[in-house]
Amino acid sequence: MNIAEQTGRRRLAVGREAGDRRRVWPWPRVTLAALAAVACAAPFLLTPYRVFQLTMILVYGIALLGLNLVVGQSGQISLGHGAFLAVGAYTSAVATGPLGLPYPVVLPLSALLSFGLGLALGLPALRLRGAYLAVVTLAIAVVVPPVIKRFGAVTGGSMGLSASVPSAPPWSGLADDQWLYLLVLAVAAAALAAARNLLASRSGRALAAIRENPAAAEVLGVRIAAHRTLVFAWSAMYAGVAGTLYAWVVGFVSPDSFTVTLSIVLLAAAVVGGPDSPAGPLLGAVFLTFVPAAAQGAGDAAPGLVAGLVIVIVVCAAPAGLAGLLRMAAGAVARRLGRE
Amino acid sequence: MSAARRRAAPPPGSGARGGNGPAAGGPAADAPPFPQAAGPPFLQMGGLRAGYGPARVLHGIDLAVREGEMVAVLGPNGAGKTTLLRALSGMVRGRGSARLRGTEILGRAPEEIARLGVAHVPEGRGTFAPLTVEENLRIGAHLLPRSHVAGQLRRVLSRFPVLQAHLSQPAGSLSGGEQQMLAVGRALMSRPRLLLLDEPSRGLAPLTTRRLFDVLRAVNLHEGVTMIVVEQNAQLALEFAGRALVMESGRLVLAGEAGRLRPGRRVTSAYLGPRR
Repeated sequence: MNIAEQTGRRRLAVGREAGDRRRVWPWPRVTLAALAAVACAAPFLLTPYRVFQLTMILVYGIALLGLNLVVGQSGQISLGHGAFLAVGAYTSAVATGPLGLPYPVVLPLSALLSFGLGLALGLPALRLRGAYLAVVTLAIAVVVPPVIKRFGAVTGGSMGLSASVPSAPPWSGLADDQWLYLLVLAVAAAALAAARNLLASRSGRALAAIRENPAAAEVLGVRIAAHRTLVFAWSAMYAGVAGTLYAWVVGFVSPDSFTVTLSIVLLAAAVVGGPDSPAGPLLGAVFLTFVPAAAQGAGDAAPGLVAGLVIVIVVCAAPAGLAGLLRMAAGAVARRLGRE
Repeated sequence: MSAARRRAAPPPGSGARGGNGPAAGGPAADAPPFPQAAGPPFLQMGGLRAGYGPARVLHGIDLAVREGEMVAVLGPNGAGKTTLLRALSGMVRGRGSARLRGTEILGRAPEEIARLGVAHVPEGRGTFAPLTVEENLRIGAHLLPRSHVAGQLRRVLSRFPVLQAHLSQPAGSLSGGEQQMLAVGRALMSRPRLLLLDEPSRGLAPLTTRRLFDVLRAVNLHEGVTMIVVEQNAQLALEFAGRALVMESGRLVLAGEAGRLRPGRRVTSAYLGPRR
């Protein structure tokens, strides 16, 4: 019997525990609307380079949103999401380049492809318990770059492949980078809505139950392997979509963009951002975009070192990630304003 | 050791089954201790054995449970009561046979057994702490058709009105008694035909325990849910259950109608040890 049972009630400190879904911020709608307005206005106020950076944040945000489904909801670890990014990116580059498909068709195509691949990988890996998923996904992350190099006829080998960048339609009057940003923003919004829907559904609750207490979930009739496999496939699909958008934004794909390091850094960003929070992917993507680049100035090894250090600090000081810190801050503000 | 001797000489009228150990091939060889309806019994265990790795815990349980019955399982710590429930819900692999309405349930995955209408309220409740009370209950209805969930939620909440007030609170913030109600409510959400309860009274105040058992009795009587309740509180179990079993060292040593067992000293001695 723990203290909570003896004293009857306990009040968790907001943000300390993953999965805590109490509302802390009293004005979620207003804040969300303001954020959306800022996001829509941003490309018209910033320099093209900043717009590019923001677009990359959104792209990584989509990948992390998917990774969070596995890490935060399913409670598993994937070390191979970089590979799904590569699948999406190369699908886009090959389909729009040599195959000459129009780019609106490419997005669902690569989504489908990465979903299928996720399903195929998750099926055997998730039936086994423990760290198997991590091992299998790590293997995939290791294998993908050499495979890309091997099939140079299609993929351009180690030279890479340039991907066609969607250009703004003339009627919009937008610059290409602005158009691309808004396109990615729309996809990100749709991805977020879909993820929220998934989590609010029966399957999302089942996942949470599996994460909290697999044995109890199983005796309630929840098929553990099936749910985990499906959510892994969803997660792979998000990464694939992010990969496609990456190819659009960068305009060039090469095996060196999708190394094992990318997979590991993605996982780190998910943990730093907060794996079980709607704000986590965005914060993780900001971390992913700025921290390694900023550390680059201090030397070649610095990005890895700084990223590693930040991860250790975040995990020790704020187990719920940056999003958890934000929640705690929001809780403090709300309390001070007496609105909680 | 002493268990075997006790089994050999059941006190008259107690209804103890003189099973002949784990090797017993046909449970039908035993005369049922009291009248049963025709057809296969609701739950029939024959030579049910189970354990954890090399450690054997259950050494052959032969038992028939009728539909709508409430059976209490008593016995000292380590007698295998929890393991019996776990074997029935698939959490531990069992050997021998256990048939639910004629369907063999041993060797099936827990989620499959749940689909057959078995719900297990595990030891220590197993509520999903960060999820809200409502989410916990809805997970309990995982197997129900979507259109039936709302109605079932209303029904369960009417049995446990205390949960209604805490619907949007995380389950971890409930008191022990409320969490137990939640665990039972969650199990009832699946509309089970067989409910396995593992020490529902543990850590609860006497009044809360009584309230919980009142609800269990109501569910048992009105919805005809068959229940197997592992209970440390022998007095309470004998009061509410129709039949009681006493387990010792992985075997059934005594079984009988609860009303007849109550005055006897045998239950208390088996449960509290020979000193009493």
